[in-house]
Amino acid sequence: MSDTKKIVTMVEQDMKKVTSKQRIVKITVQILLYLFLCTMALIIVFPFYWMIISSLKTTAEYRLPVPTLFPRQIMWTNYLEAFTAANLGKLFMNTVYVGIVSTILSLVVTVLSAFAFARLEFKGKNTLFALLLATMMIPGELFTITNYVTVTKLGWIDTYTVLIVPFLVSIFYIYLLRQNFMQIPNELYLAAKVDGTKDLKYLWKVMIPLSLPNLISITILKMMGAWNSYVWPRLVANTDHQLITNGLRNAFTDMSGQANIPVQMAAVTVVSIPLFLVFIFLRKYIMKGVSRSGIKG
Amino acid sequence: MRKILLSLLVLVAMLVNVFAMTSCNMFGSDDEENYEKATYDVPAEGYDGSAVTIEFYSTMGKKLQAVLDTYIAEFNKIYPKITVSHTSVGSYDDVRDQIKTQLTANNQPNIAYCYPDHVAAYNVAKAVVPLDNFIDSTITVTRADGTNETLGLTAEQKADFIEGYYKEGTGFDKAGTMYTLPLSKSTEALYYNKTFFDQNGLSVPKTWDEMEALCRRIKEIDPTCVPLGYDSEANWFISMCEQYGVGYTSLDNGGSFLFDNETTREFVKEFRTWHQDGLVTTEEIYGGYTSGLFTSTEGQRCYMVIGSTGGASYQTPPTTGDGVSLFETAMATPPSVDPANPKVISQGPSLCLFESENKQEVVASWLFMKFLTTNVSFQAAFSMESGYAPVIKSVQDNEVYKNWLNSARGKNTEEGPANITAMSVKLALAQEKAYFVSPAFNGSSDARDQVGLIMQTILVYEGDDVDGAIDKAFKDAIAECEYALG
Amino acid sequence: MANAKEKVKGWFIEGFVKTFIVAWIWQTFCVKWVWQTFCVKWFWKAFCVNILYKKFDSYKAWLYLSPAIILLLIFTVWPIFNTLRMAFWERYNMLQEIGGTLKFKLGFKNFVDVINYPRFIQCLKNTLLLCVLTVPLSTILALVIAVCLNSIKPLSRFLQTIFFLPYVTNSIAIGMVFEAMFNIVGYKTPEASVGIINTVIGFFGIEPINWINQGSAYWANITVLVIYIVWNALPFKILILLGGLQSVNKQYYEAAKVDSTPRLRVFTRITVPLLSPMIAYVVITGFIGGFKEYSSIVGIFGEDMQAVGGESLNTMVGYIYDSLARNQQGRASAAALILFGIIFIVTMINLGVSKKKTHY
Repeated sequence: MSDTKKIVTMVEQDMKKVTSKQRIVKITVQILLYLFLCTMALIIVFPFYWMIISSLKTTAEYRLPVPTLFPRQIMWTNYLEAFTAANLGKLFMNTVYVGIVSTILSLVVTVLSAFAFARLEFKGKNTLFALLLATMMIPGELFTITNYVTVTKLGWIDTYTVLIVPFLVSIFYIYLLRQNFMQIPNELYLAAKVDGTKDLKYLWKVMIPLSLPNLISITILKMMGAWNSYVWPRLVANTDHQLITNGLRNAFTDMSGQANIPVQMAAVTVVSIPLFLVFIFLRKYIMKGVSRSGIKG
Repeated sequence: MRKILLSLLVLVAMLVNVFAMTSCNMFGSDDEENYEKATYDVPAEGYDGSAVTIEFYSTMGKKLQAVLDTYIAEFNKIYPKITVSHTSVGSYDDVRDQIKTQLTANNQPNIAYCYPDHVAAYNVAKAVVPLDNFIDSTITVTRADGTNETLGLTAEQKADFIEGYYKEGTGFDKAGTMYTLPLSKSTEALYYNKTFFDQNGLSVPKTWDEMEALCRRIKEIDPTCVPLGYDSEANWFISMCEQYGVGYTSLDNGGSFLFDNETTREFVKEFRTWHQDGLVTTEEIYGGYTSGLFTSTEGQRCYMVIGSTGGASYQTPPTTGDGVSLFETAMATPPSVDPANPKVISQGPSLCLFESENKQEVVASWLFMKFLTTNVSFQAAFSMESGYAPVIKSVQDNEVYKNWLNSARGKNTEEGPANITAMSVKLALAQEKAYFVSPAFNGSSDARDQVGLIMQTILVYEGDDVDGAIDKAFKDAIAECEYALG
Repeated sequence: MANAKEKVKGWFIEGFVKTFIVAWIWQTFCVKWVWQTFCVKWFWKAFCVNILYKKFDSYKAWLYLSPAIILLLIFTVWPIFNTLRMAFWERYNMLQEIGGTLKFKLGFKNFVDVINYPRFIQCLKNTLLLCVLTVPLSTILALVIAVCLNSIKPLSRFLQTIFFLPYVTNSIAIGMVFEAMFNIVGYKTPEASVGIINTVIGFFGIEPINWINQGSAYWANITVLVIYIVWNALPFKILILLGGLQSVNKQYYEAAKVDSTPRLRVFTRITVPLLSPMIAYVVITGFIGGFKEYSSIVGIFGEDMQAVGGESLNTMVGYIYDSLARNQQGRASAAALILFGIIFIVTMINLGVSKKKTHY
């Protein structure tokens, strides 16, 4: 009896040793993890910091040969100047409108195409997919001229259409979503078919919730695209239809086209805030992921 | 297998189609040896008072656009039916790229800011309106207030233009067709630290030899300094070519590159020793704005800068906390090979007109262009806001402008704050005889890039085989230019 | 002149139509004949059992794909066709075409020109070097960060937000930062400012390195570019991989937890395979993007794309831009097609590898 007890206690002690050893390992790993992540975060966030401090410098300080890490004299007036700059409100609304409409339409097109590529069988699927991938490989700048002629002939100049339609299809996103869809077990689809579920219903009820994180990534990227697009809107739209970057680049330039960068940065910071808030909101959904959807592989 | 066969077939069919068209050479040979001026049929009635909208592309920032708006209102008092819609497209290159693309769909604006090499490019598309017929036109146009004006330029108006600026418009072909009118100009100037010069009894150099001696002298006084900063290597090279009277580029055979010769190789080699001795630096080599070096309050500094008059405000001397300037900035014409006949480069925007199906648009654009370039108060207001020099002489008689010019000051004094911009415009107006521009053709901007590269490469070259390096740099540059010309 | 332009356009449209008619006839008649002659029995069987079902499937597929395909035909395929046209017109210059002075001749001159460019090999070398260095580096780093982010609890929200910040940072700001970080103003003078990076590596006792200024070495320039490109690419890749990790079924991890499998093993045996479709995606698009590298170089080294007195850092796309700026659309198109060929081969290899290694 006592022998067995002894053995049991010994085993228990051993177990404790192991767990405490494991705990130490675990804690060190955690510390290393945080150290690594924090360092990377610091590096990654640096441009953002730079954007903020640049927006608070004087032009003279910005032009200093040795850049300062913190503004010597904080220039809140830059923000005042940015606020009073020409027409930014209108451009902002344009950007929001174009961003939202093109994101929604683009998501529809992308989801349908990705579904066709991932789930349906049809003749020439792989060839078509390879061809689509191939179109990504030609630098887009070569397309600008031809597309410009096309939209002119279509009479789309100076409309919102011209800012939205030409960029609705992105192979980049179709490919991303196809990869995601293919991760979802095919059995689900076949089972749904047997049940007589319609494709679109299946897409809506199963595929989309399961690939929500990537759909949100696409949304973010697409919105950012509207935020950063510059050359195309400048080419095809008058000042009533241009987007925010056009205003940001042009409102603060001098005679030679050089920008007053501190004020520009102030304006950039201001218009970035709503975007940032949207992202924080969306982040929740990315991180929620699929844990709740209860799908078994 | 089927797929492969099918694709092969498509390929063959495409190739057959492609080569079926090879046999045709549908366009005639181009007329290279044509020395006749290009012409434009100005409508006999001139401007017929019809309502037109003209599109104007510029690089103006917000403040300049406000000035422009004021004067568009003025213009509309004379011609109420001409609507001017102006757009700031971005940088000069943006304007060029945008117009080049719009030309493909015949959507180009009516008037645009331009640099000579842009016009050379648009000319390939035959899209720029030659101005000679407009300038010489004697057609009478009726204004809204009942008064008349001649469509063309009067003799006084023509004579009022600063000659060097006006001539820039003719540098596009051998016949001397006029394609642009100057709007507003900048040039290069020598900024120097007057306080330092006075303290040490130095005098402003007139020639490059004097400049070298002066730099060596300054280097003795302050061994840590770089006496001279030259902003643009390319401008330096091109100005030296002009001053020595040796070739840089020419319009022969649709554009030739002449900048590889004994003289250029020699001065580049000479400037290399300046750089190696720590006498000079450039923006690219220094890695920052040389104005920063000129106005720096701690560490290394320079006492002279040769740079654009457009950036004059950046040469404003730094101040102490209570607003006292730490030194006084003064300006002079940059050194020359022959001080009796100085040469300084002329830069800054001109205006050109584009073809349009509605000839009334072109005429209306011409009227607007003429208004902007010959209206004294616009030229004055624009110059004061931009820091660029006006292109007509009579602006200097304008009272407001005169006062502004008189506020030119190298440092903060009791009378007012430092105004380097006014100083630079004053200088730009004073050296009006010295301006030159290099010929513009398709490929002239490549020449500019390449000579800048030669200067950079050689100035910093540290090996033993200097001549070999110079030889290679020049040959590479010429090869690159000729390759670019195709 | 407009007439001539119309005429040329007419030819192309005609050529296009003819090509497709021939292809269509071939497909309908030849294929049908072969099938009907040799596979009649099989055909009927297949039709009854398989094709009917599959036909419906494929009809649906084309329906779903139709919006994408229509838009692509207008805004991608047609421009590509135009690119082909420009590439085979000798010395094609768009402005000359508008002006009507284009000497119209077909041939391979543009391709010869591209290959004869004195710095062609240099461009190719820079392009390949940047690609080969940046893609693996950024992918591995992003993967590690994503997995780490996914496996911490406290602070994870905060850190995730931080990693999203680059998305709202304006691209102009990013360019400026790099200039400021590596630039040595007034190099080789007593008071030279050595830049932030040199200050940081100075803590580890490393001498300041001349990264991008006059007289800097080629490898130093490339290092800066690699850091810049990886940095630029990281946030996007982290986002995609994190999204992928969230889609991965938690069961596998729970199973591993029960078995108390070591972390590294979990990473290599579970995470990487389950994430392989996303990794494949990131690598393939990374390569495609890497081959098109251009703006980062201009961002740091300016329009002439080299350090003062250094080797040229121009890439293939840089060459394309230069040619476009000079209105040599013919050369630009030819170079684009050459680049396309290279990327196509690399992508095919990538796809081949990923097909073997990817688990769906």
